Amino acid sequence: MAGKGAATPATYSPSLTTVKGKKKPPIFADDANWVRSDGRHFHQCRPAFLRTNAVNSASGSAYAEFGNTKVIVSVFGPRESKKAMMYSDVGRLNCNVSYTTFATVHRNQGSDSKELSSMLYKALEGAIILESFPKTTVDVFALVLESGGSDLPVIISCASLALADAGILLYDLVAAVSVSCLGKNLVIDPILEEESHQDGSFMISCMPSRNEISQLTLTGEWSTPKISEAMELCLDACSKLAKIMRSSLREPLSASEE
Amino acid sequence: MAAASGSDLSSEMEVDAFRRLFPLHFHERHLLKSIRPDGRTLGKARDTIISLGAVTSANGSALTKIGCTTMLAAIKLEVMTPTVESPDEGCIAIDFHMPPICSPIVRPGRPADAAPVVAKQLSDTILRQLRYLWKNSGMIDLKELSLVSGKAAWMAYLDIYCLDADGSLFDAALLSAVAAFSHLQIPVVSLNDEGRIVLVSEDNGGGKLEKEPVNKEKRKLNLATIPFSLTCVLHKNYILADPTAEEESIMETLVTVVLDSSSQLVSLYKPGGPVLAHTSAIQDCVALTRQRLKELQKILNEAISDMEVD
Repeated sequence: MAGKGAATPATYSPSLTTVKGKKKPPIFADDANWVRSDGRHFHQCRPAFLRTNAVNSASGSAYAEFGNTKVIVSVFGPRESKKAMMYSDVGRLNCNVSYTTFATVHRNQGSDSKELSSMLYKALEGAIILESFPKTTVDVFALVLESGGSDLPVIISCASLALADAGILLYDLVAAVSVSCLGKNLVIDPILEEESHQDGSFMISCMPSRNEISQLTLTGEWSTPKISEAMELCLDACSKLAKIMRSSLREPLSASEE
Repeated sequence: MAAASGSDLSSEMEVDAFRRLFPLHFHERHLLKSIRPDGRTLGKARDTIISLGAVTSANGSALTKIGCTTMLAAIKLEVMTPTVESPDEGCIAIDFHMPPICSPIVRPGRPADAAPVVAKQLSDTILRQLRYLWKNSGMIDLKELSLVSGKAAWMAYLDIYCLDADGSLFDAALLSAVAAFSHLQIPVVSLNDEGRIVLVSEDNGGGKLEKEPVNKEKRKLNLATIPFSLTCVLHKNYILADPTAEEESIMETLVTVVLDSSSQLVSLYKPGGPVLAHTSAIQDCVALTRQRLKELQKILNEAISDMEVD
């Protein structure tokens, strides 16, 4: 019975005891009195903690912590492109996003996320002045230390901060915020639990001082008024986030002047 | 000769340029004055910080910094069926990762050369279980990880991520692993009707439980002996403790000494290198490690007591 001959024993993480006949309470109710599990209002973002210069060996780096979502982004370069690359008179951007094995509730293999990598690339591509570093490549590597919901927007914001820290020329900082549609309600900056119950999601990454959007994704069922409501919410939150990002860039400078 | 031309040029060159063009000479001129470019004396290690509980999704975690070298270790506990040979023992799986964020030389998809070496050293040090000589000589008694004899035991997945690589990777990794184990909190579980282990939620702890918990209270692992290490670089007659990445790349002979809390030698690595060390040099390395052991023990104990106050 025990140890049926498998060399590597299959493991499982113990789940919570479920008492029969008593369902887990739904995470949201349709009434207006519902409060989010972390006590936020629907249109309130998690407190953002941002720091530049997190990794000393990188050209530029940033650490972002939004609630339980923790991300480190390192930027390397501009450095020589791979040998196989053709000549290019504009610079190249290379993005990679990976998760730690303990990032999620259940242990995973900690693999690269191809989807997030390409989403990150597309969100940043338009913000970087690629003409400023011809023939070379800038590498943007992100590691999600802990996944607590709204991972992609946090990665994008953190990555643009790291690029600025590395001294890469940008048109503007890219700030990204997402909104989940839960029943009739729109909740901003959703946590993992809310994301898993959402009916639809909406994410914007934009350059607030230029009023330009670099990426917009929309999944699920949305009505037109809902979309414009979500858009307004996100754009407002993005411009506030960009202010926090800007001040975190200034912090080390003002500290060194003193 | 590079060294000779370096000494001629040193007076007319900027310091940064001299450091890049003649790195060996740059360091040797410092060593003559018994100081290192970052202002340390030869035998001094960099400032060390341990912070416990950095990852909320793990059962135990620790972040350590030795100078700029940063390691994040996290332990996740899962349930496994123990093997027939050792029905009342759990298991520990150790993995060391160097993600591309940590250093300019690591690229995605290509693991760093140093990673498997450090991983092997770590599992040798932590899992050293001299099963056939005498039991429980290692840091952790695997019996403490047992839940139901022959049916269920804990599988502890220890994953260490290097977030910033600036030399002495093994020292920082071992310290973070040890700190994560001392932070590890084993959740209360019980056996359900289907023979699976389930968590006992804390909020209905006051009420009557359907099943008796298998392990009575949130237990901590009893760490019998704790290993600490120090890496030294040997160059000519000099011994430099806790080298940075720059020092490691210029002066290639490394000696890593691991001692346990009672100053007994656990392991000693000298993976080749151009300097053939005299026994006296090795003894000096051990002596430096003995000093460092006291520092590290103090830092770890402070981190643990800070955690208990919170």
